[in-house]
Amino acid sequence: MSFAAPLFAWVGGGLALGVVALHLLAWRRPPASPLPTARFAPDAPVRTVSRAMRPVDLGLLAVRVLVIVLVSTALAGPRFASRVQGLGRVIVVDRSHGPEAWAPIDRVARSVFRSGDALVVVDSTVHKVRNPTVDSIVATSPTTESGGISAALVVGIRAANELQRVRDSVEIVVVSPFGSDALDAATASIRRMWPGTVRTMRAGTPPNDTARARPPDIRAGSGDPVSAALALAGAAPRGAVRVVRDSTTAADTAWARNGGAVVVWPTSAAQRGWNVRATADTAFGVTVTSLGSGSSASPALSATVVAPFVRRLAPPPGRVVARWDDGEPAATEISLGAGCMRSVAVRVSAAGDLALTPAFRRFAEQIARPCVGSRGWTAATDSVVSAVLPATGARGAAQTFSAVDTTRSHSPIAVWLLGAAMVAALAELLVRRGAANATA
Amino acid sequence: MRERRTARETERHQRVDDETSRPESRSALLDAVRGVKWPALRPVAGALPGAHHSRLRGAAPELSEYRVYRQGDDPKRIDWRLLARSDRAYIRLAEDRSTVSTVLIVDATASMAYPEGSLGKWRAACDVAIGLAAVAHTSRDPVGLVVVNGDGMRQMPPRTRRGIVGEIARALDDVAPRGSRSLAPAMGGIRSRVRVAIVSDFLGDADHVRRRAGEVAAAGGEVHAIHIVADEELDPPARSILAVDPEDASLMRPLVADSRAAYLERFAAWRTELSASWRAEGLSYTLARVSEPASRVVRRVAGAALGTGRAVAPDVRREIR
Repeated sequence: MSFAAPLFAWVGGGLALGVVALHLLAWRRPPASPLPTARFAPDAPVRTVSRAMRPVDLGLLAVRVLVIVLVSTALAGPRFASRVQGLGRVIVVDRSHGPEAWAPIDRVARSVFRSGDALVVVDSTVHKVRNPTVDSIVATSPTTESGGISAALVVGIRAANELQRVRDSVEIVVVSPFGSDALDAATASIRRMWPGTVRTMRAGTPPNDTARARPPDIRAGSGDPVSAALALAGAAPRGAVRVVRDSTTAADTAWARNGGAVVVWPTSAAQRGWNVRATADTAFGVTVTSLGSGSSASPALSATVVAPFVRRLAPPPGRVVARWDDGEPAATEISLGAGCMRSVAVRVSAAGDLALTPAFRRFAEQIARPCVGSRGWTAATDSVVSAVLPATGARGAAQTFSAVDTTRSHSPIAVWLLGAAMVAALAELLVRRGAANATA
Repeated sequence: MRERRTARETERHQRVDDETSRPESRSALLDAVRGVKWPALRPVAGALPGAHHSRLRGAAPELSEYRVYRQGDDPKRIDWRLLARSDRAYIRLAEDRSTVSTVLIVDATASMAYPEGSLGKWRAACDVAIGLAAVAHTSRDPVGLVVVNGDGMRQMPPRTRRGIVGEIARALDDVAPRGSRSLAPAMGGIRSRVRVAIVSDFLGDADHVRRRAGEVAAAGGEVHAIHIVADEELDPPARSILAVDPEDASLMRPLVADSRAAYLERFAAWRTELSASWRAEGLSYTLARVSEPASRVVRRVAGAALGTGRAVAPDVRREIR
């Protein structure tokens, strides 16, 4: 038997000893003895406190100690499940990075997985595989749908807690190429909820931490705000995205047909193939929802800019990837061969510092992502992964997580113990009343 | 002659020392009080010749004084020899000796049956009463007895016959101390000018008894209070007990280490107040511990009548205070 909160058991033991000590101080009635001059003794209560070598009122003492032991044991959270010696693991397999990344992921996951381990599969959704085997890893098919490590950690921690009942120690093993899009702001805080070990196993070649981040290819004039924002935004796969701030050319179209993403983000109000709005107006916000399919929309891949934008152009028809605050499309995307062509009707003024704000940089970064279905991804560096997913958890995190662990607070044993404690408390009332009548 | 007297005194002192160290038997008690005089506190008005100074002056052989003959005096009382020498008529006066009736009132209520095993207080009271009866009977005084216990009151009128002390002893032996009853009614039928000795622990109606004794004394009587106190009452056992009054079972007080000092203080204060109140009434008060030989108590009572106080030991004086 083990306790989830052994402190309560220790406190209960201390209280029980205190009760025993109190029963050594007995309210007793001294033996009656005739004394003709009894009237000269002070008129005090007949019962006096005296120390005894043995506890008095053994029945009452037993019931009281029983109540304390039952309550403290219930609060301590006893668990009688037989533990299997050894380490239990929750294997989190990230298969959301396409077929080209699946081979190393599959190899690493198969090498790590052992019988008895839990298996959590991540793609656009996260689910735990029931009764997993090595074949369960093989059975999973890679997708290009975007997934998140945060959601995978939540499911993995839940599976780890279930596994903790039968294992002495449990660790979570995350097998992933750790694309930068899979890590978000919540990943680190979710990691802190698990007090145990989280082992990260990168599948594939790790990126060079010292390599300079490379912005996407941009064809624009000097002082272009969009090129400034993208330069600050971060890296993009070489040859995956081309941002065109002027008119598209045949070379751009051919490039897109070969799998690239051409982002047409014109600076002029007149653009061939674009619709000019009847009246120019002002929108006060634009949001890029997702560059994937609707089911794979992720808040981590969204970005919103709140600022006044003058709307003169409307993007050509296509799949909407960004909308104004009133719901009208702000950017569309059409597939072109193996690639795509993305049209962005968000006019950015060269005056002001809007392009340098974090929100617009995030917006520009999301807009300048590779095409859906064929887009590439950038791997997070090892320093980022180790910072977001440290191997060992903090002690305080363990207590926090225990406090929210619903499986422990709903132990049926604790409920039965509390019920028995209530019955014993009622019995204590009866026994105490009987003892009082006996001594009266 | 002197050596014989010295030996006798030595023997007497040794006997007194032995009396203080071990309980004495009845015969030893009677032997110890033989020769003890218990004079009346004031001249008595009895007519029968006895050992006490009488208020009457008569023709006893012991000359007291001469008085000038006055008309009406018996001519037979004229001292003719003095008349011949002085040519004046004087009559011869002499002090009469008379007897005084002595009534012993013995408390036989339940509080006297203490300690439970030895009944020390009751036995001490009986011994003191018998000793006083013997002393009084030696002076040819009539001796009577009143025993009060829960069953009632047993009375023996004062008598001077030879076996009265034995009768008193048997009467006391036949009584078992029990119950609760006031001593004051026992003094109701007592005539004036009688000597009364109350042997009790005065734990009943002490004030009532004292007032009644004061009335007896005011009527010309003489009252002696012999307060019997057990050693266990003066120094109760150190262990914690629930003290129960033998005469009132509802009176229960815990006597533990914390309350022991208060008990001793209260009891001492009560004894002091009791003795002071009796003496304030002009009555005799003697405290008698159970462990003290009865013969010594008898001597102290008789010594109190003499006003000498010689028989009062220093430790006893402290207790009386």
